[in-house]
Amino acid sequence: MAASGATNDEMMDIGGAELDNNKNEKMFTLKKWNAVAMWSWDVECDTCAICRVQVMDACLRCQGDGNRQAGGKQPECVVVWGECNHSFHHCCMSQWTQQNKRCPLCQKEWSIQRMGK
Amino acid sequence: MASPRPVNHGNKNHDLDQIWDDLKQGIEHVYDRRGMSKPRYMELYTHVYNYCTSVHQQGQPSGSLSSSVRSSASSVSRTSSRNRQTGGANGNHNSGAQFVGQELYKRLKDFLHEYLSKLIEQGETLMGEDVLTFYTKQWEEYRFSSKVLNGVCAYLNRHWVRRECDEGRKNVYEIYQLALVIWKETLFEKLHKQVTNAVLKLIERERNGEMINTSLVSGVIGSYVELGLEDDDQNCTTTPNANAGLNQRQGPQLGTYQKHFEQQFLEDTENFYANESMEFLHQNPVTEYMKKAEQRLSEEHKRVELYLHDSTLQRLMKTCETVLIQKQLDTLHNEFRSLLHAEKKDDLGRMYMLVARLDDALGEMRDHLESHICAQGLAALEELGETGGNDPKMYVTTILDVHKKYNKLVLTAFKNDSGFVAALDKACGKFINNNAVTKAAQSTQKSPELLARYCDLLLKKSNKNPEDQELEDTLNQVMIVFKYLEDKDVFQKFYSKMLANRLVSHMSASDEAESSMIGKLKHACGFEYTSKLQRMYQDIGLSKDLNDEFKNYLREKQDTLPLDFQIQVLSSGSWPFTQCVEFALPSELEHSVNKFNEFYNTKHSGRKLSWLYNRSKGDIVTNCFKNRYIFQASTFQMAVLLMFNSNDSYRVGELAEATKLKMDILVQVLQILFKARLLVPPNGENEDDLTADTVVTFFKEYKNKKLRVNINVPLKAEVKQEQEQTHQVIEEDRKILIQAAIVRIMKMRKVFKHQQLVAEVLNQLAARFNPRVQMIKKCIDILIEKDYLERTEGQKDTYSYLA
Repeated sequence: MAASGATNDEMMDIGGAELDNNKNEKMFTLKKWNAVAMWSWDVECDTCAICRVQVMDACLRCQGDGNRQAGGKQPECVVVWGECNHSFHHCCMSQWTQQNKRCPLCQKEWSIQRMGK
Repeated sequence: MASPRPVNHGNKNHDLDQIWDDLKQGIEHVYDRRGMSKPRYMELYTHVYNYCTSVHQQGQPSGSLSSSVRSSASSVSRTSSRNRQTGGANGNHNSGAQFVGQELYKRLKDFLHEYLSKLIEQGETLMGEDVLTFYTKQWEEYRFSSKVLNGVCAYLNRHWVRRECDEGRKNVYEIYQLALVIWKETLFEKLHKQVTNAVLKLIERERNGEMINTSLVSGVIGSYVELGLEDDDQNCTTTPNANAGLNQRQGPQLGTYQKHFEQQFLEDTENFYANESMEFLHQNPVTEYMKKAEQRLSEEHKRVELYLHDSTLQRLMKTCETVLIQKQLDTLHNEFRSLLHAEKKDDLGRMYMLVARLDDALGEMRDHLESHICAQGLAALEELGETGGNDPKMYVTTILDVHKKYNKLVLTAFKNDSGFVAALDKACGKFINNNAVTKAAQSTQKSPELLARYCDLLLKKSNKNPEDQELEDTLNQVMIVFKYLEDKDVFQKFYSKMLANRLVSHMSASDEAESSMIGKLKHACGFEYTSKLQRMYQDIGLSKDLNDEFKNYLREKQDTLPLDFQIQVLSSGSWPFTQCVEFALPSELEHSVNKFNEFYNTKHSGRKLSWLYNRSKGDIVTNCFKNRYIFQASTFQMAVLLMFNSNDSYRVGELAEATKLKMDILVQVLQILFKARLLVPPNGENEDDLTADTVVTFFKEYKNKKLRVNINVPLKAEVKQEQEQTHQVIEEDRKILIQAAIVRIMKMRKVFKHQQLVAEVLNQLAARFNPRVQMIKKCIDILIEKDYLERTEGQKDTYSYLA
C-alpha cells in the first residue's frame, strides 16, 4: 500500500454527521446497479444456412435494402425456427418455401415452430 | 443606256485617247488629294463608262439582231477568249467586245507605277522615324486616293475585270486591289526593309522605357496587313473554290505581315529578352526577376492590343514565355525550394502563375512541394518526441496544423491547381501513415489508433468539452486526417471499441455529436463501414425504452427491486465486447437479474440474454465508517466488498470460491481495493504476490475527502487483452475482406493472371486499407483449398474461377 504514495492522512473531517443509527445495518449496501447484457437469438447455429450471414445481422437482401435506404434503418429481419429446430432468417425462409416446403438442412417438412421477436 | 450607236473598230483607240487626257487629269487631281466636286467625279465616272460601253457595242452592231446571231456571237467570244488565254496576255482588240477595258486597265497601271516611282525617290534616303512618317502618310493618302479611283472605275471593275476573272485570268484585279499590288511591287519592295527596321527600333525603344509615337507603328502594321490581302485571288469571289479560299483566308492573307514583320519581330523579341533576363538575373534576386517577367508579359500583351495584329498574340506570348520562363526554369525551381522554406506566399503564387503559362512545366514544382510538405510533416511529428504516441490530441493537431498551412498555400498561391492538391494529398498520406511516432510504435496502425483516441477525447464527457459548433468543426477536421489514413479498418475497430465504452458507460458528451460523427464516417466510407456503429447507437436508444417498460412491468406486478436498476441490452455481433468471464452473482443482485430475465422473455421470444458482469457497475453505500461514502464500483468489486458484510477478513482462496472469479482476475480486483485503502494485505506482505492463502483484511479506518469515490479502475489484464484482441480481429477481418475481393474479381474475370489479380485486389481495397501482398497470396491459397479457385493447368501464374 505504501507504494501507492498519496495517502489520505491529512483529509478533513467532514462535518460531525456521525451515522450511529446505521450501526445495525450491514457495512455495505447496494444502491444502484447499471447492468449490461447482450442478447442473441437462441439458435444452435449462428449463421443462416440460406444466405450465409449471421442470424444476428439482417439477411443479405435486407442489408442490400438497408444500404439503399438513405437512413440505413434496417427493417425487422427476425429469425424463424422450424419444428426440426433449425433456424434461418425469416425473410430467407419465406423465399425458400415458395419453391420447396422442406427444411434446407434436414429435408424434413417445414413447419414453423416459433418466430423471433 | 446609251443608244446603240454603231462605232467602227478603228474608233476604239481614238476613243480612249479622247477620254484619257481628261481622265488622267482627274486622276492626278485625286492623287494630289485636292478636293473634287460631285459633277467632276461624275464626269470621270462617265468617261470610264463611255469608254467601256461604247466599245462594247462594236461586237454587236445592232440591238435588233436575231437571237441566233447573238448566241453565235457569244459562242465566238467564248472560243476567242480561250484562244486568248492560250495566246497569252496580249489580247487582240479584234477578237471581241469583252476585251475592251484592257487598255484602260493598262494605262491606269502605268499611271500608278509612275506615281509611285516618284514617291520612292522621295522616301529612299529617309531613315528611322522619318521613313515611318513618310511611309504611313503616303500610305494613308495613297489608300484614300485609290479608293476614289476605284469608285471612278467601278464600271470597269464590274464588267471587264469581273469577266477576266471569271475566265480564270490571273493578275487582273479590281482597281483598288491593283493599286495595292503596285504599291507592294514598287514602293514596298524598295522601302520595306528600312520601314521594318525602323518599326523594330521604335518598339525596342519603347521596351527600354521611352515614349513612342505608336500611331506610326500601327500605321505600318495596318499597311502590311492590308498588303497581304492581294495574295489571295480577292477579286474572284465567284470562283467555284471560293469556299476553300475562305478557309485559307487567315493564312495567306497575312503573308506579307508575317514575312516582312512578324518573323523578325519575334526574333528581335527573343534576343531582347534573352539578354535582358540574363543581365537582370545577374544583378537582382529571382523574386524581383519574376515581378519583371510578369510585368514584361503584360506589356507585350498590351503591345499586341495596341498596335500589332491580333494573330501575333499567341506567337508573341509563346516566344516571351519561352525566353522569360522556360529558359529560366532551373533557376526558378531552385528558388522554389527556398521560397517554400521561407514561406513566401506571394512569390510562390507569382512563380506558379508564370510557370503555369507553359505546357506541362509544373511537374517539378509539384514534386518539390510534395517532398517539402512531407518533410515538414515528418519533422513536426518527430518534434513531439515520445509524447506523440501518447497524446492523441497533440498528434492530431500537429498533423492538422501542417495540413492547414499547406492547404492554404495550395488554395491561394497555387490557385487550387489539381496537380498541387494531389501533391498535398500525397504528401499528407505519406507522413500521416509513416512517421516518427508510427516508427516508435513499430506499426502503421498507430495513426488510426491515435485518431480514434482523439475522437474519444472529443466525444467523451469531460469538463472541457467544447461547444457544439466548435465540436462539429473539430470533427470535420478529424475527417480531414481520416481521409489520409491507409488503414481505415484499424480506425474503425478502435473507434467502435471506444464508442462502445462511451455508450455503455453513459459517457457520451452529446448524442448529436455521436450521430453526426457516424454520419461523416458513413459518408466517407459507406454504409457497411458504419453499420455496426449505427446499430450500437440504436441499441442505446432502445435500451432507454426498455428500462421504462421494465419499470411499468414491475409496477403492474406490484414488485419492487431493492436497488436502483438500470440495464442496457445490446445486440450481440455489433458490439466489440467479449462474453463474460466466470462469475457468481452476489445474492443481492440475483433478484434483479431474475426479474429482468422474466420481463425480457415476455417481451421477446427466441432470444437469450447473457449478462456482461464485467461491464456492469454500480454504487455501493458504506455504513461502517465515520462518514457515509458512496463508492462507484464494478460488479466484481461489489461482490468482494459485500463478502465483508459477514466477516472482517478472508483468505484469498475463500473469496475466489465465493465469487467463482479466476485467480488472476481476483488478484487484480483485490489490488485495486488495496490501492483504494479499503482492504489491506497482511502486515509486511507485498500486495503483488498474493496466493490463495493470503489473508486480506477490511480496513476500518478508511477515510477520504470526497464522499463519492470512484474505485472502478479498469483491470490491467482486460486492457491488454482488449488491445491484443483488437489487432487480432483486424487481421482476421482483413483476410475475409481480401478473400471477398478475390472472389468478386475472379467471378467476373473467370481466368486471371496472378499479378493482375494482386493489383486489382490492392486497388479495390485501397479505400479501406493496404493489404500486404504476402497476405493476398495466403488468401489465394485459402480459396484454392476451399475450391473457389484453381491454378489453370499448363499456364503459369494463372487462376481460374470455380463456380
